Amino acid sequence: MNREDSQSMLNAVATARSRQPAVRYEMIEAIRNGEKTKPVVHNEIHQQEAVIDIDQFALWYSAAQAIHDVSMKIPRGAVTALIGPSGCGKSTLLRSINRMNDLVDGVRVEGEIHLNGSPIYAPSVDVIGLRKRLGMVFQKPNPFPMSIFENVVYPLRIDGERRKSVLAEACEKSLRSAAIWDEVKDRLKESALGLSGGQQQRLCIARAVVADPEVLLLDEPCSALDPVATIKIEELITEISSRYTVLIVTHNMQQAARVSDYTALMYLGRLVEYGTTGMIFQNPKLLETEHYVSGRFG
Amino acid sequence: MSINKRNHHGVTVRRTLPSAGGEPMIWLTGGALVLCILMIIGLVSLVVYNGSRAFWPQPISRVELLDGSTFLGIRVDHEQGTEESTARSLYQVGNRDIGQESFRWVDDSEVESTSEPDDVVMLERQSWGAWFGVPERIMLREEEGAEVVLADGAEEAMAAFDEYHEQAIEKYESAEHLREKTLGEINRRIERQRVRVRGAEYAFEQKDKGSKPFPIAAWLGVVGMLGVCVGMYLMLSKRASAYEIGVPAGLRVGRFGVLLIGVSLLIAALIGSPWRGVSMDADRLGGIRADAANQERMLLVDYERVLEEIHSIEAEDAKYRFVVIEQTGGRFAPVSQTQSDEPMRMSQVVRMVPANRLGFGDKLGVYFSRWWEYLSTGPREANTEGGVYPVIVGTVLLTLMLTIFVTPLGVIAALYLREYAKQGLVTSLIRIAVNNLAGVPSIVYGVFGLGFFCYTLGQYVDTGVSKESSIEPSQWWMVYASTTAAGILGYATGVLAKPNPGKAPVAFHRWMKRCSLLVWGGVVVLVAVLIFRTPYFEGFFAVRAMDGSPTFGARGLLWASLTLALLTLPVVIVATEEAIAAVPNSMREGSYGCGASKWQTMRRVVIPGAMPGILTGAILAMARGAGEVAPLMLVGAVKLNEDLPISSSAPYLHADRSFMHLGFHIYDLGFQSPDSQAARPLVWTTILLFLSLILALNMIAIVVRARIRARMIESAI
Repeated sequence: MNREDSQSMLNAVATARSRQPAVRYEMIEAIRNGEKTKPVVHNEIHQQEAVIDIDQFALWYSAAQAIHDVSMKIPRGAVTALIGPSGCGKSTLLRSINRMNDLVDGVRVEGEIHLNGSPIYAPSVDVIGLRKRLGMVFQKPNPFPMSIFENVVYPLRIDGERRKSVLAEACEKSLRSAAIWDEVKDRLKESALGLSGGQQQRLCIARAVVADPEVLLLDEPCSALDPVATIKIEELITEISSRYTVLIVTHNMQQAARVSDYTALMYLGRLVEYGTTGMIFQNPKLLETEHYVSGRFG
Repeated sequence: MSINKRNHHGVTVRRTLPSAGGEPMIWLTGGALVLCILMIIGLVSLVVYNGSRAFWPQPISRVELLDGSTFLGIRVDHEQGTEESTARSLYQVGNRDIGQESFRWVDDSEVESTSEPDDVVMLERQSWGAWFGVPERIMLREEEGAEVVLADGAEEAMAAFDEYHEQAIEKYESAEHLREKTLGEINRRIERQRVRVRGAEYAFEQKDKGSKPFPIAAWLGVVGMLGVCVGMYLMLSKRASAYEIGVPAGLRVGRFGVLLIGVSLLIAALIGSPWRGVSMDADRLGGIRADAANQERMLLVDYERVLEEIHSIEAEDAKYRFVVIEQTGGRFAPVSQTQSDEPMRMSQVVRMVPANRLGFGDKLGVYFSRWWEYLSTGPREANTEGGVYPVIVGTVLLTLMLTIFVTPLGVIAALYLREYAKQGLVTSLIRIAVNNLAGVPSIVYGVFGLGFFCYTLGQYVDTGVSKESSIEPSQWWMVYASTTAAGILGYATGVLAKPNPGKAPVAFHRWMKRCSLLVWGGVVVLVAVLIFRTPYFEGFFAVRAMDGSPTFGARGLLWASLTLALLTLPVVIVATEEAIAAVPNSMREGSYGCGASKWQTMRRVVIPGAMPGILTGAILAMARGAGEVAPLMLVGAVKLNEDLPISSSAPYLHADRSFMHLGFHIYDLGFQSPDSQAARPLVWTTILLFLSLILALNMIAIVVRARIRARMIESAI
């Protein structure tokens, strides 16, 4: 489809919408106009104990600002989903929490993020030590070119763990908790690159939890997977959410509704609405949220 | 107006240009490939044909000329007649020691007749090349001139040849063995005693001049300070580990500073150690002299005894004589040029080839025995005969050593360039420079290697720093302390040059960065000054170098392999960089996400992922280096050196020795040889061998790579 075609199609959609009773997305328009907005944060959030406290956080990629003044608390021991249209800064926000954005040239931040009350952008923070407390799973499965066993115990290896028995035990435990043990237990010595995409992603989850992180950061973990593999990962997230705090970025509204306890909607680098998943999906306070989660906007 | 037409249904049909047809391109591209393959096949088959043919026994002709003279020889070439010249043939006629040219052109018009008689033989000899003739008898020649005929007549002599030849060779070889191994060892021991005396004398001369160890109190002070440093380092480390995440910059600088000071103190303690340089007094010198003289006397007695034994064996060997008559003048092969009235020794014969009476199987036997001789023995007769065993050893060693040098160096450089360095103008310039380095003519590397490695670095290793170019110890220690201080300053400014996380660098950080670079550059210069002007290094082989026989200060295997390593460095750097760049970033991110440091990520994810590419680079470098000749002529390859660079005596690998190299050997055989006709078949054979050797080395490397790759899949750790 060329550009003109898609443009005309968009125009047709816009015309169809304009025939509906006119809606005004006040918050969205304010954000588009670059005004400072006050996000709607439900009361339930404030009643929870926060493990991560994002405090007036802003981030620039060179000159382009990707996150504007976001403040939100991630409750401990629950699954929190970040949703929003492409380019809204949800992945950037996630990657700011374990400072993966440090690897990008020209990144500049303002504000602060606290992990268990200690600031993570303080000058003295050891980034490696910080990342060791957070597990991360990426959009595309990224197993290392080594055996399944070595992939899983990689975080322990870099901590200097050499005892065979400890490694084997940790490997089995985390493969079980990633619900992949039965599939790979007979081929631990084989290359991880031979696994299917869904298996690779579960292996990456096993790798992320093997060193018992405080928070698990999932960056659209299912976007490269087929529906069957997606369902398995979702079941897995629900399963491990009893042990870890999980922060998940997702494009998929149903997924957010299925796996998360809290949901935050972001738009153009700003927080729009943040509350329990039930409230956000069934009884949001903003019209734009209601329309976004039902697919009428975004 | 569209270039496309509508058909009768009114549908637009996109047209297809005539030039869209790919047929001509298939022929063009395929033709180019076929041409390349044909040229390569042509080269390889030429080498294989000529190289494998050289050792096949050719028939020996007996040529009678119109003027009544006769000669024996092997026809090796023939020229068709033209209008200006008549047809002529080239014969190898040998018999150089009776004053004959060993190759001879004969016009076909002068030839009366040629035949291939049964009773002629070609003798390959230890010296003076081939001898063509008819065997007459084998005899024992006693000292008083009495002769015992063992076999008479051509038939009998040929039949009995093997038996008596074996007996003679056995004696000849045992004498040679004694001469080379036993006498050689005694000679080396005598030499060692002489060097020992020279060393002691040198130490005695130097005892008032050379640098001295620290006074004991100063040395104890240094050791005490070293202890303080260790303690402080442990304390600071403990303090640092108290931070749950992150260590403050001040603490890091402090820790680094204490570490650097500690290392400096350790080196100082080693340099100034009171055990260093045991002083030499007149008594000890006298003792050593007496002991060495005593040992030398005993060794000389041994020497005489062994020499006598050799002479008696050689006298036995000299009894076996072989009379072989040539056809031009009816003379027999003499024992030497000056004693033309005495027939040659049996043991001088390497191989007798009665070519005209050999069946196919026998010819095959001669063929393989010549190959075996070629591969397993050293060269004779200015390299035109004999084998190339030392040449093979030299080539293989050189290639292995250059690969061992170049691979780690290139890989480490490429890792920095790709993983640590900030990509920008400077890295681009470095890449361009590295790529250009690959285009520098190799002889330039040879000149550099000779000037820098052999003469500068080699002489430094041999004789150290001379009194004139070294600086005063007190000044040297001041430079030493400044270097340590500068190192700490460089580190501190480097830490300050980093802005707080997530913050953009301001002018202060940029200035700190420049300062840090400047200070580190200064540290490099200071370290160079410390090394090359130290009063504390007198060389490892100063005594021998003063005797006029430098050890590392001359051309040798070590410097040659380093020169070739430098030459092949771009290959490794470029291949490694590409392999590293091909490792997906998602893997690096995954590793960082697990809490791995940059180095851990490189070591455990990037390098294993890039390993096949890195090994490919190493193989390419090896192939490039193995085929290089020009620089070797300057930095270590020689025409003849039968002392192999490896031996069974310490230090086993003699990297200081010069060596023989197949590439240089080909040049030497083909273009430097006094008898280029005789050497021609060997040139082809050597080329064939060289190509096979490079092929074999590459195959081994490829197999190793495949195995490493397979193992890496199982575990990358």
